[in-house]
Amino acid sequence: MQGLLRGLVYGGLIITVLMTATAWGMWLERKLAARMQSRIGPNVVGKFGLLQPVADLMKLLQKEEIYPIGADRLLFDLAPFLVTTFAIATAAVVPFSAEAVGADLDVGLLWVLALGGLMVIPVWMAGWASNNKFALIGGMRAVAQSISYGVPLVLTSLVAVVFTGTMSLSGIVKFQIEHGWLALWPPGPGVVAFVLFYMALLAESNRIPFDIPEAESELVAGITTEYTGMKFGLLYVGEYVHTMVGSAIAAVIFLGGWDGPFHIASGLHWMVIKTVALFASVYWVRWSLLRFRSDQLMRLCWLYLVPVSLGLVVFAALWRHFVLR
Amino acid sequence: MNARHPGPTSDRYRLEQMDADADLMVLNFGPQHPSTHGVFRIKLILDGEVVVRAIPYAGYLHRGVEKLLERLTFAQGVPIVDKNDYVAPMTNEQALVMAFEKLLKIEVPRRARWMRTIFAELQRIASHMLWLGTFALDMGGALGGGSGVFIYTFRERDYILDLFEMVTGGRFHYNTHTIGGNRHDIPPGWDREVTKVLDLIESRLPEYEAMSSNNAIFVARTKGVGVIDKELALGLGLTGPILRASGVDFDLRRDAPYHAYDELKVNVATATAGDCQARAQVRVAELRDSIRLVRQGLAGLPEGGINGGKPIKMPQQFKTMTGQAYVGIDTPRGELGTFVVAGGGDKGTAPYRCKIRAPSLHALSALPWILPGHTVSDVVVILGSLDPIMGEVDR
Amino acid sequence: MGYLLDSIRALGVTAKNIGRKPVTVQFPKVIRERQERYRTSFALLKDEQGEERCVGCLACERICPSQIIHMSSTKKESPVTGKKRGYLDDFTLDMTACIFCELCVQVCPFDAIVMLKVPHEPGYVREDLVLTMAKLYENAEKPLTWGNGTKLMEMQEPPKPAPAQAAAPVPAPAAAPVPAAVPVPAAAPAPAPVPVPASAAAAEPAKTEAP
Ligand code: SF4
Ligand code: SF4
Repeated sequence: MQGLLRGLVYGGLIITVLMTATAWGMWLERKLAARMQSRIGPNVVGKFGLLQPVADLMKLLQKEEIYPIGADRLLFDLAPFLVTTFAIATAAVVPFSAEAVGADLDVGLLWVLALGGLMVIPVWMAGWASNNKFALIGGMRAVAQSISYGVPLVLTSLVAVVFTGTMSLSGIVKFQIEHGWLALWPPGPGVVAFVLFYMALLAESNRIPFDIPEAESELVAGITTEYTGMKFGLLYVGEYVHTMVGSAIAAVIFLGGWDGPFHIASGLHWMVIKTVALFASVYWVRWSLLRFRSDQLMRLCWLYLVPVSLGLVVFAALWRHFVLR
Repeated sequence: MNARHPGPTSDRYRLEQMDADADLMVLNFGPQHPSTHGVFRIKLILDGEVVVRAIPYAGYLHRGVEKLLERLTFAQGVPIVDKNDYVAPMTNEQALVMAFEKLLKIEVPRRARWMRTIFAELQRIASHMLWLGTFALDMGGALGGGSGVFIYTFRERDYILDLFEMVTGGRFHYNTHTIGGNRHDIPPGWDREVTKVLDLIESRLPEYEAMSSNNAIFVARTKGVGVIDKELALGLGLTGPILRASGVDFDLRRDAPYHAYDELKVNVATATAGDCQARAQVRVAELRDSIRLVRQGLAGLPEGGINGGKPIKMPQQFKTMTGQAYVGIDTPRGELGTFVVAGGGDKGTAPYRCKIRAPSLHALSALPWILPGHTVSDVVVILGSLDPIMGEVDR
Repeated sequence: MGYLLDSIRALGVTAKNIGRKPVTVQFPKVIRERQERYRTSFALLKDEQGEERCVGCLACERICPSQIIHMSSTKKESPVTGKKRGYLDDFTLDMTACIFCELCVQVCPFDAIVMLKVPHEPGYVREDLVLTMAKLYENAEKPLTWGNGTKLMEMQEPPKPAPAQAAAPVPAPAAAPVPAAVPVPAAAPAPAPVPVPASAAAAEPAKTEAP
């Protein structure tokens, strides 16, 4: 009973914090992008435009809901809801500090990867149910991309698992506190694994240069083409939450989680700093690069990312066997 | 037409002859689409994501400019054509005005010709800047790096519009050319402003190139995509950067000099590959050459009057009943030709017929040849690399 | 690998631009400096004696490519000079179709119609965009642009031989020390009052300069 209560409270907390953080993450992105482009960004609603996310929410809530002719209503309604749910559910196992963790599963990493893999289903649902050709192509691309990039994502996470010998996310952090951050510590391979993980993360969360599923210039808006109002908002928020949680997980696996550099003042704040920095860097990349073509994406994935991450896994196993013992 | 480009009418692209089970899909690309550069529709017949056949439809922006020019007198016609190629209004005016001058046999003073050269080259810089931005936008999306390049180039283009504004008072509707010369003289101190802007653009050009045309992702997206070979380019009457990117060394500025180009040396940039990357390279090289040309033009700007004819006083002041004239000039998009036949209006005060040869229209006619075999992503890139301006296509 | 390096370079460019000042001009709050020759909206002027300059000569109505100027006038005796001249009864300029070609300003022989430096305010109905005679005379209070018929014509006239400045075959723009932001003083006459033979003589050195 107590466990259930704790779950409810903590779950509510995560949802609230995450959604709020995402909303202002969007604000941060817009400000950052604006400055990169010699613009000012939102600055009318509230001081520095800080209330812009609220205004956006109000706007989205007021919009009329439109169902395209021939749309599969059930799937059409369900898809945005599922996208957000899966994205948030991933956050349940992320250890934000030694104490602040929803469910410290033994297979935390597996949970994260599994839910990340599931994300493709609602995306495909959205693409299929819209009864729009652009959405359909977007959905097809999303499926192809998610499946392909799931492989290097899993493999690079496997590097961490092999190194640390645990699948529990807090276990991984504890190992890093003991031995040093995985991105730095076996010098070289760790960085490569981190970069690969980061790239796979970009692809999984559909960010430039891997954002072909919703490539605006080609597919109008990809899967979100026909969505209006809050359903569009949910799809949008789902993506941001996905990116946010992905950054948090990258911070946990490779950047030592809540551990401060040289163990200085370890705690929740380091986790927040790392997550926000990674989150911002995703958008820095987004606003700086052009987009690949879908076949180039596949080639990059299968010809480079997958073999390299396989090599890294082998290296990690050898290192574990001979050095760490 | 040849092996590489079987042509839209060849059997390979006949729909009736296609496999009935091939699961083809018709995708109407445009007219309301973020990257059709205006209102342009291509009916794409897709096999999966690969284009099997492409049928372009133009005409969504038709405003009857050619008919309008028959109704208006010679004197009134000039401001109308500003809106044809809305990215390079200066060159539109020039093309029309030069044809009228040839028809009416009016000599343009030397200063006006040099000024027109400077305007044309500044306009080329502005136009190519905008093209670079929109091309990156096509590739990087409105919510990505593309929009960064777009806003940078747009920012710099705006400085050039400021320069035009100083001279003409307009940022878009210049109406600064008149039959026989120019309407506005260059204000004092303008050349310093120009030099400042050119220095700025020149110093920032490497930045845009790092983000776009020199970037490995850009190269991956453009190399070998949308190849127009020499034969096809000549066969379709393509001109300008597209023709030069296909390996034909032809530039009206050098080969049939007008304005002051006979006194300036134009370096014609060419490439041989004929793909989107080659077109991008040619345009960027032209951008640099234009900066040099503007500098030279400013240094050599002669003194004198700016109008060889009579300033416009009334609509009927230019009259001719006989003759016809064709003038083609090299705009940022290629050969913009104007063909006028005299004898329209009230006793020959207007053209009987005025035909505008728009380079973009010819560029678009290449689409059915080069699109098949490419994916939907490439369609956007190829369309962007042709730099079509719908206002000019549909007129 | 090339992707990675080029991506890092691109990231560098955007990072560099974070440091640059935003170029946005927040329009209703900040109004961009308007050039002397800026063209929007119209005004009808009165002369020093408070008499309407426009005599209803129809020149602007005829030249307008969009045919949006309409007027009617009657001949009356002028209270100031006592001569008979035309007075406007009605004058409308439909801004919805104006293309700001400045031809109406150029052809006006009495410098009556001129352009403003402040744009016409947007309206809620089409009629708001039609400039009636009353509105046009009201507009004369607003900042006017540099151009009027005489000046525009003067600028396009072939240069008259000016004996005093005969010994200055220097390109005019380079010699004029005008602050950069303000290209033309409001009352500046048409530039290039330089002798006719200069067109050949001045260009010779310039041509050799060009590489
Ligand atoms: S500016 Fe041109 S279009 Fe406008 S009223 Fe004057 S002549 Fe007509
Ligand atoms: S040209 Fe001038 S004087 Fe003649 S009607 Fe027009 S505004 Fe009046």
